[in-house]
Amino acid sequence: MGEVVQFEETVKDYGSKEIGPLTFSVGRGEIVGLLGPNGSGKSTSIRLMLGLIRPSLGRVMLMGLDPLRHHVKALDKVGYSPELANLQAFMTPSEFLELTGGLVGLGRGLLKEQVTKTLEDVGLSAYENYKIGKLSKGMVQRLSVAQAMMGPPSLLVLDEPMIGIDPAGVVHFRSLFRRFVSDGGTIIMSSHILSEVETLCNSLAIIHSGKLVFRGEIEKFIQTALKSRLIEVELQTFPDDLLVEIQGVPGVTRATRMERGYLVEAASGSDPRSEIAKLVVGSGAGLLSIGYSRGELDEAYIAAIKGSEN
Amino acid sequence: MNIGKVRTLAFYELQRTVARKKVLALVILTILVDTIPYYFLSTAGSSSIPLAARPYLWVVGVFLPQAFFLQFIALFISAGSMSEEYEQGTAEILLSKPVSRDEYFLGKFSGGFSLLTLVVVLNAVLSVASSTLTFGPQLSLEILPSVVISQVFSALVFFCAAFMIGELVRRSSLAYIIASAVFFTSQIAGIILGAIFRLTGNEFDHLLDLYLPTSPVNSLPLLVARPSLPSGATSVLQLGGINAIESSVAFSIGLIAVYAIVSLVITRVYFGWADVAKKIS
Repeated sequence: MGEVVQFEETVKDYGSKEIGPLTFSVGRGEIVGLLGPNGSGKSTSIRLMLGLIRPSLGRVMLMGLDPLRHHVKALDKVGYSPELANLQAFMTPSEFLELTGGLVGLGRGLLKEQVTKTLEDVGLSAYENYKIGKLSKGMVQRLSVAQAMMGPPSLLVLDEPMIGIDPAGVVHFRSLFRRFVSDGGTIIMSSHILSEVETLCNSLAIIHSGKLVFRGEIEKFIQTALKSRLIEVELQTFPDDLLVEIQGVPGVTRATRMERGYLVEAASGSDPRSEIAKLVVGSGAGLLSIGYSRGELDEAYIAAIKGSEN
Repeated sequence: MNIGKVRTLAFYELQRTVARKKVLALVILTILVDTIPYYFLSTAGSSSIPLAARPYLWVVGVFLPQAFFLQFIALFISAGSMSEEYEQGTAEILLSKPVSRDEYFLGKFSGGFSLLTLVVVLNAVLSVASSTLTFGPQLSLEILPSVVISQVFSALVFFCAAFMIGELVRRSSLAYIIASAVFFTSQIAGIILGAIFRLTGNEFDHLLDLYLPTSPVNSLPLLVARPSLPSGATSVLQLGGINAIESSVAFSIGLIAVYAIVSLVITRVYFGWADVAKKIS
């Protein structure tokens, strides 16, 4: 897997605050969630990788090139959607995409074709001739993502891409981003919506107080950050001895009855899900679902941030 | 350098500037300046205008906005050219595209300057049209193209200065204030130095006056036009308070070029070196 972004001992010194040194990389085909509290250095990292700001020390490589020295080549296949973008209110979505398409070097014929397709992709076809100033916040956000997709790029850098987008739009964007990655693209996405990151991303880069706290797979992060893990078991019926049997499975520290099943606490590092599933199926309780609790990333994130503060 | 991208940015800058209401208001004001004086001259004061001067009254409309309105439009267009993009956060989007800093710089500059050129041309066309409609056929119009070119060229001083200030301070309101302050200070200093020189004959005051940024701006178009205009027309200009401080076309061109180049070099160097500022509004 080739690396599309590399931070090498990169430091940005703002005088009153220092971000870094950051050393990490992003491989082709990844969907990386860039996480961290406000002011932790996420936006600085994004701006460094796009060559918008200069590192004080170290370097950043984008597509194997220095984005400051070789800006045009390095950014040739990169799309960026900033957080709460202020797009030019006097333009229409079509005009704005024609502008950004022109800047990525699309010829006239291809430009029209891509504008139509991209507007369709983000669900803005019906608004192509509205002034941007008349669009809702969610529509502007869709347009911000659309302009990043002009080219098309092979790397998408998205700063809070789901802000202001309605639930149907979120689902639509998720599938759009997944399709983008399955077509060979890479996504770096900064977000505060951890459930969104958990759903969409396959790895994380967590920055806190300018330092990299974690870089790797989500699953590994949760295992590292949490002492124990929660497994949700959804059942049709509740046989008498099943709860006691589950409590006896190696790795299980506690199991409690919930309204629709059991909540099982397991020691981090152990994975008793298949054992539990076997027991449930054997008892005839009717297994509806089994899996780690969806809120684990939130807990792991908070634990990691607290841990890095101490 | 990709000319297509420069053209795209220049066209965008042109659209963006026109969409700003304050620039549009100044353009409308210029149009009024070009039409209203002729209306009043034709209704109230036509008997006091010598017949010999009437075929040259187009000079009033062409030269009258030179000292103030055209320079003001120049600095209003360019002071926000870079700074507004930072304030709105659009610079971040545009500069994250595969566009070099040179292409962006040139696109923004040429887009704004094209609009200013259009305003100068509009001013000239309206002046000729208004004067022809009110006072009959106008003469010596063959010098109009060179006058327009000299006006466009002289507008470079405050256009480039405001462009530079906008990039350096990266706040549009502050850039307008500073650029306007520079302009007014220069104009007022010129008036004071001129008055002192006339009173005392002190050459140093005159020398200072010659090097003020407003001096070549006010003088060049007049120096270009004067040799081809009859005395009747130049006396009309003098009555309107339109005088040349400089005496040499070459010196004026040189001084304008120096002011413009210095401003542009500072802007380009700073733009290449500084970080792209984050959105502030």
